[in-house]
Amino acid sequence: MSDSTVIQALRRAFQVAPTLRKGLVVTLLLAGLGTAMSLVVPITLQRIVDTQLVGVDRIDTGAVLRSGLVAVGAVIVASIARWTSLMRIAKFVPAGLAELRNEAFSHLHRLSALHTETNRRGAMVARVTSDVAALEHFMEWAGIGMLIGITQLVLAMTTMLFYNVRLALIVIAGVAVYGTLLLWFQKLLKRAHGAHRNTISDSMSAVSESITGLPIIRAHGAEAETLSRVDQALGRQFVAGFRTARFGAVLFSSAEIFAGLITAAVIGFGVIFGARGQLTTGTLLAFLFLVNLLTEPVQMIVEASDSAQAAGAGLRKVLTVIDEPVDLPDSTDPQPLPAGSLEVAAVDTTFQYPTGPPIIRNLHLRIAPGERVAVVGQTGSGKTTFAKLVARLIDPTAGAIRVGGVDVRDVSFSELRSRVSYVPQQGFLFNTSIIENIRYGRAAATDQEVTDAITDLKLVDWVEGLPDGLSTMAGVRGQNLSAGERQLVALTRAWVANPDLLILDEATSAVDPALELRLRDAIERLAQGRTSITVAHRLSTAEAADRVLVFESGEIVEDGTHAELIELGGVYASLHADWAVATR
Amino acid sequence: MGTVLRQGGAHVGRLIRAHPIAFTIAVFGSTMFVSAIAIAAVVIGNITDDVIIPVLDGGEPYADLLRPAVLLIAGIALYKAVGIIIRRVGASWLQIRSQMDFVSRLIHHQYKLSMPWHHGEDTGDLLAITDNDAGQATFVLGPLPYATGVSLLLIGALVLVTSIDVWLGLVALISFGLVVTTDVGSAWFIFGGFEKLQRMVGDVSAVAHESFDGALTVKAIGAEDLEVERFSRVSNALRDQRTWVSVRAESFRTVSEIIPTLGLIAVIVVGGYRIEAGAITPGEVVTALYLMSLLSFPIRLIGFVTWETTFALASWRRIARIVEADDLIHHGEMDPSGQATGTEVSGENVTFSYPGGVPVLSDLGFHIQPGETVAVVGPTASGKSTMVSLLARLWDPDHGTIQLDGRDLRDFAERGVSSEVTIVPQESFLFNLSVRENITLGQHFSEEEVRAAADLAQATPFVLELPQGFDTVVGEQGATLSGGQAQRIALARSIVRKPRLLILDDATSAIDPSVETAILTGLRDAELPSTVVLVAYRQASITLADRVILVDDGRIIATGTHAHLLATQPVYSDILTAYANV
Repeated sequence: MSDSTVIQALRRAFQVAPTLRKGLVVTLLLAGLGTAMSLVVPITLQRIVDTQLVGVDRIDTGAVLRSGLVAVGAVIVASIARWTSLMRIAKFVPAGLAELRNEAFSHLHRLSALHTETNRRGAMVARVTSDVAALEHFMEWAGIGMLIGITQLVLAMTTMLFYNVRLALIVIAGVAVYGTLLLWFQKLLKRAHGAHRNTISDSMSAVSESITGLPIIRAHGAEAETLSRVDQALGRQFVAGFRTARFGAVLFSSAEIFAGLITAAVIGFGVIFGARGQLTTGTLLAFLFLVNLLTEPVQMIVEASDSAQAAGAGLRKVLTVIDEPVDLPDSTDPQPLPAGSLEVAAVDTTFQYPTGPPIIRNLHLRIAPGERVAVVGQTGSGKTTFAKLVARLIDPTAGAIRVGGVDVRDVSFSELRSRVSYVPQQGFLFNTSIIENIRYGRAAATDQEVTDAITDLKLVDWVEGLPDGLSTMAGVRGQNLSAGERQLVALTRAWVANPDLLILDEATSAVDPALELRLRDAIERLAQGRTSITVAHRLSTAEAADRVLVFESGEIVEDGTHAELIELGGVYASLHADWAVATR
Repeated sequence: MGTVLRQGGAHVGRLIRAHPIAFTIAVFGSTMFVSAIAIAAVVIGNITDDVIIPVLDGGEPYADLLRPAVLLIAGIALYKAVGIIIRRVGASWLQIRSQMDFVSRLIHHQYKLSMPWHHGEDTGDLLAITDNDAGQATFVLGPLPYATGVSLLLIGALVLVTSIDVWLGLVALISFGLVVTTDVGSAWFIFGGFEKLQRMVGDVSAVAHESFDGALTVKAIGAEDLEVERFSRVSNALRDQRTWVSVRAESFRTVSEIIPTLGLIAVIVVGGYRIEAGAITPGEVVTALYLMSLLSFPIRLIGFVTWETTFALASWRRIARIVEADDLIHHGEMDPSGQATGTEVSGENVTFSYPGGVPVLSDLGFHIQPGETVAVVGPTASGKSTMVSLLARLWDPDHGTIQLDGRDLRDFAERGVSSEVTIVPQESFLFNLSVRENITLGQHFSEEEVRAAADLAQATPFVLELPQGFDTVVGEQGATLSGGQAQRIALARSIVRKPRLLILDDATSAIDPSVETAILTGLRDAELPSTVVLVAYRQASITLADRVILVDDGRIIATGTHAHLLATQPVYSDILTAYANV
């Protein structure tokens, strides 16, 4: 990534988070003024040495004191300027970064990739955490440091040129040679850094798996092998890290050699020029101090350019997320849904992921309002995709899905979510109480409404058996509950939303059959007058439905009542026979 | 703060004692470096008095004087550079080595800790500790040798400047003293706020993790706005805390940057008075000035190390919580039998509850014959999974014992239990490794053994269709497998180990019924030398079992054949015949 794209990325970041550049010009001017502080000492030294100390019979101590006080005044003014600029950075940069972070988070929730491409999830968390942190480091330290470094370099060189052009040019030539060498050296260092980073990510993934997979590793007695894999990865990381560090040590020691050579040159040439009367003692001494102001910024700029690359890479990742078009945009001209239970229709609907075969192919279908439909088929036949299309968790790549006669893309999300409930197979629980988890279905639900929903679903016994009833904490990802209990919470959550279209995607697969049937009775009783679509692994659901849709390779191959399809003797009949043998 | 610095110092001391040679080398380099600074200052002062002033103001010829002066300056630079290299190489070896030591120690110790300990932990938090804190706890080792050298130099510089002139010495003392006090004081003042900041960074990450993990649910119930609001709350709190810390840290920094500059101006002015008094030469003022200006950056290292020590302590406390946890699994001395037959399994008075929870199992007693296949059946949340996880010693019972062939599980030596028992859990976990490595988990199994296990698990057909067959990488960053496919790989992982007791905890729930039937009949026909315990709901799976243990509400309420329980136990027939009665 070149510097120009770093600048482009920064420009885009300023658009997304305008606070980042708020008052930036003033901040930088103040920082520049603050940098002038470093020049005070050499200049004061030169003035005092040349006018008061050397070549005079008697030192005018009053004049020395006055010069000193002027210098103190200059230092205080410069410090106030620098402090003001630092305070502005301390306020605007965190605020701007929070804007960027919040925007990235909110945008990610608008992308379907968050739930369809689950393997990218870890990377997505990095977008709102470590990638933003890389930028923070740059904005608060490296970026500012680079600008201050450049200012200091320019100021010091200007002062030298002002004092003595020839000696200044010798110094500047030296710094230029050093800067070039450093840049070249930096490239080698970057390569070493790259190799180091690879070993870091290797050992991080070994470490991460050894922790997340611990129960499995323990259950299979593979502890020793796993630990030795981790230690090997750490060993490689150590070797690569130490190699980079050795390289860096040589790189940074070169600055000292260079500063020494330039100082030696200044003394050598300074004395020669001075002997010819071209240079005063004070000026030569000032030069010796000014040289010390040059090497630090050169190192700083080179080091900061590395941080700029890292920040640029992190920033670009954040911006890529923010600039990814929302694939499920909310309707700009929302159409209302009709009241009452909802009709569902698929019109020549096709869905496929960018890199894969169609999962749903040219689907035509109409489900009448109030109809209770079961969707069955082998694993991978497209059942879940169909359910997600109806709930508008994904949009078809061709054709349309209509709910209540309206294309779902023309319905506002707020209306769609309040009228249509989708319950996934693995209902996710947040790390809070069960009642708060249920309220995620409808934030305004009262305690009474939640209790009523529990009663309706005949789950009172279960709740009473929990340690703290509805106040029981679900734990991280709901780990305090069993898989079946998590499904009960998810179902209740959908229930309090009081939907007109209920979509259950294997929502009761982990509860025992007797309980499942109890739930289904309750749902059926209460779902009177509502449309329901139930994706089922257990075919008992299909037996009781008004209508059964059989999916195979993304198409509906059979459509009818349980009895009709058994009669037909096709795919459904064989699925059912298989299931019946297994369960009865 | 006293406590913080004392404990921080103790922490740093332990790190140094672990690798004293590296630290000594680094401090040696640092001493070279700081002595170079002092020498350079004296030499520059002498050059001022002996060369610059005589030549520039006295008109003396420079011919003999210049060459040694220039060579001396260049020589000091080289010596200083060598010191830097030695210091940096030593310090970075020490830091990186210590960090790797911590990571390794963290993982190794976690592998010794018991399940009750792990149950209370958030995996994300454990990862963050390994990921960030192991680094943070050791970063202080980078600047520490430098700061040690600087402390020596500080004393040396004070002695040197005072020997030049007492008044200049006083200026140096005040200047150095104020800088160190300001820097150390700022560390004391800001430490609490900084610790809070680190916690908030963790909060932001935790909310993002949880919210993204639940993305499907969030979208399905239209809770995006709620989540954005929740995230903004922690994110904005982080913003405010970051500003709080920066405002204070930068204010202190401005003060400690201004002090050395003011000190230098004071040296010039006081120097002027002292030269006038005839006490010292201009060159001596230049020496003091040069020395203090070269020190104005390194002196900040002392404050910096104080800061880093407090950070290191905060991280060490998080690490210590893990590596000093003593909730270890205790192993006995007994070796596994090595027999290739199914084992007898028995439980007596087994009672168990999860940490802080209500009892899950009460007073279980059971007896499973060698080679028997037993199904554990019961309603949702009746304790089935918990019961079978005790058989694999993932947990220990609170009371009572579980025995294999009459040997208490707790008497087995390390890895003894897992060499006789394997469990396939409800939710299959795949590593970012190839299919083959997911099955072997890095242990030695022949190609035939892997194939045979995959065949039995009915995994071979779909594995061979993957792009690289058994070498295809699966898991989080690998090829996407369906739930049923993942379960079959997890099953092969257990089968390949030819356990004497094989436990299937609803491990075939995502597999189509006909495939499941094939797996279970395959297992039986293969005549594995195993006792099999399976948790199941499907009648086909259950009827393959010789016997059924019926669990309800944490108790075994009956055992017997399928037919017997069907006839005598209403709970059992409710579950088993639920579908038949529709």
